[in-house]
Amino acid sequence: MPDLAATVTIQLFNGLVVGMIYALIGIGLTLILGLLDIPNFAHGALYALGAYLLLQLLGLTGSFWLGLLIAPVVVFILSMLLERLLIRPLYPVGSNYVLLFTFAVSVIVQELIILVWGPVGFSVLPPSILAGSVELGLFSYPRYHIFVMLVSVAVILALWLLLERTRYGAIMRAGIENKTMVSALGIDVYRLFTLGFGLGAYLAALAGVLMAPIRGLMPYMGVDILPFAFVVVALGGLGNIIGAIAAGLIIGVTQSLTTQFWPQGSTITIFAVMAAILLIRPQGLFGAR
Amino acid sequence: MKEVTRREFLKLVGTAAGIAGLESAAFGCQVAGQVGGPGPQPPQEVPMLGIWPFTGAFADVGPVLDRGMSLALEEWGYKVIGRPIKYVKRDDETKADTATRRVEEAIETEGVKYVIGPWSSGVALAVSEVAKRRKVLHFFSGGTEDISGKRCHRYSFQWAAHAYTAADTVIKTFLRENPGAKRWYLLIADYAFGWSLEKYLKLVGEKYGVQVLGADRHPLGEREFSGYVSKAVGARPDVVAMVNFGQDAIQAVRTFYNFGWQPKQPLIMTWSAGVEELVQLEPEMRENVWVGTNFYYTIDTPVAREFVKRYREKYGEPPGYAPAAAYGMTRLVLRGIEKAKSAEVPDVIQALEGWEGEDLLGKMRIDPRTHQTLRPYFFLRCKKKSEMKDQWDFADLIGTGDTPQPRELNGCQDIGSL
Repeated sequence: MPDLAATVTIQLFNGLVVGMIYALIGIGLTLILGLLDIPNFAHGALYALGAYLLLQLLGLTGSFWLGLLIAPVVVFILSMLLERLLIRPLYPVGSNYVLLFTFAVSVIVQELIILVWGPVGFSVLPPSILAGSVELGLFSYPRYHIFVMLVSVAVILALWLLLERTRYGAIMRAGIENKTMVSALGIDVYRLFTLGFGLGAYLAALAGVLMAPIRGLMPYMGVDILPFAFVVVALGGLGNIIGAIAAGLIIGVTQSLTTQFWPQGSTITIFAVMAAILLIRPQGLFGAR
Repeated sequence: MKEVTRREFLKLVGTAAGIAGLESAAFGCQVAGQVGGPGPQPPQEVPMLGIWPFTGAFADVGPVLDRGMSLALEEWGYKVIGRPIKYVKRDDETKADTATRRVEEAIETEGVKYVIGPWSSGVALAVSEVAKRRKVLHFFSGGTEDISGKRCHRYSFQWAAHAYTAADTVIKTFLRENPGAKRWYLLIADYAFGWSLEKYLKLVGEKYGVQVLGADRHPLGEREFSGYVSKAVGARPDVVAMVNFGQDAIQAVRTFYNFGWQPKQPLIMTWSAGVEELVQLEPEMRENVWVGTNFYYTIDTPVAREFVKRYREKYGEPPGYAPAAAYGMTRLVLRGIEKAKSAEVPDVIQALEGWEGEDLLGKMRIDPRTHQTLRPYFFLRCKKKSEMKDQWDFADLIGTGDTPQPRELNGCQDIGSL
């Protein structure tokens, strides 16, 4: 049996990788929540849709990379249409209706997935250049997992740059801070919402595509990850990108270490940690609203 | 500012919980609504309930269980001893409270006397209690030994092989093919069926010189197995044996594969659905995977061959353990009714106790003392992609075992009265 130090190191590393993946899963949700003030219950379904579109594109073209490129874009466009045509009319009626509507979308998308691809799940192999493991001294780790971690870092960095360094991002951040003021400055807040929703959906679908070789596909996969996405959002602070990363890493590491020392408790510990932190800081780690 | 956020968060959580509840209720109503007939049934009819998981952790299995039971009923023309059979279906959502509620409701409103299912062992123990209280015949197929063990009673029957039989078949056959592989690591689903098999893998393992280096339990519905795999791999076993099911098992196999465990090292799925799980994996992920199962479609008995043929003709794919179990249990209940020449539950129970015959799995017998079906368990070796003759040619059937649980280990002291 390996010694304690080696074991903890392995699980810590695993926790960081899994944590960045959780952050990626949650980032789209926190963006939409921050911008539109609604918990997007369709987030899981959009994640699933991304994965299933990848499956379809893999079948058509045999290329994972083409799927990675195209599937999230398709979801981006569909989501913007959805927001513009069906969600926007609900804003004046109240946020509860928007929330319920996103829940309806999640059920509809899930059932559509079953209608089109059936109730039985699928597996996807990682693309061949990313197959196999990498030797890291103490242990070997799947190449594809490391790839997804790095992509998550890159995506979140790109998102951060978009929000912090572009005019568009500044408008979005302002929208997260104070919608009324942004509107008063003459900016079309509704168009902001449509693009913001699309961007959040794009990130959800991207996560779904990237996760397909790791988690496979099945119609309820969205329902499976939604609680974790919400944990990342609540723990990190609504609408906060840095918060999402911190939260993801915390729950990733917590889960991996718990699996090592108390295997039965891996899932419950995540929620216990979230509850504990929120008791002390209800706005989340980096929440300011 | 702080207060507003807390309120917002509680609202969020409250709504989420409410919505989760709504969704389950909505689906349940949808499945229940499929079956017709308000009010009490004409006395002629024999209502039989299939309590299956159409949603929840085992949602992919519900539809095929339904197929299996329907196929058996079709073969009999939906009639037994000259009376029409009414097939009642309910979704248990893979939850004990939903299952017991829906079984009670089916007994109340449809007059159900025969309950087949559920699929989950945890849910089955709850349903078994209802069967005992309401005096309806209950046939279950699953890994928990308690149904024919310490929770035994006259109304519940176990179709699946006993966990002891399964463990014995798996260990014995695997070691025959891999003689040196004595250091085992176990990954167990943390609930009833997992605990039973874990216990017998360790007990029977001792008999064969197996050293269990470690056994980790994972929560039912777990999807993140990287931590478990790292831990198991770190212990450097010769083989990892898993006791889990459905999506949990599939995800675990995927993760072991991604971490490079198979095909270099062997992975055992101790109690698998066979076809239903293997079809959701890529062939590369299945290489050097060994599978213990209650049914495989290449079993060579007259009943099995006929069943597989009809199932394939109708559904375009071979049946796995789930539909075979539903089919097998329904057959036994119908044969029991026929033997008793009565559809009264006590008569059928007595007809089934000690029943012996050739059926789906070959020679089968129902132990009157425990209501355990004594029958073979099967062990498969998955094929490499290049060895597969068609998309369904997942594995070779390489061994069977039917060693029953030794009497002294059985927890059923007194099966009781009717």
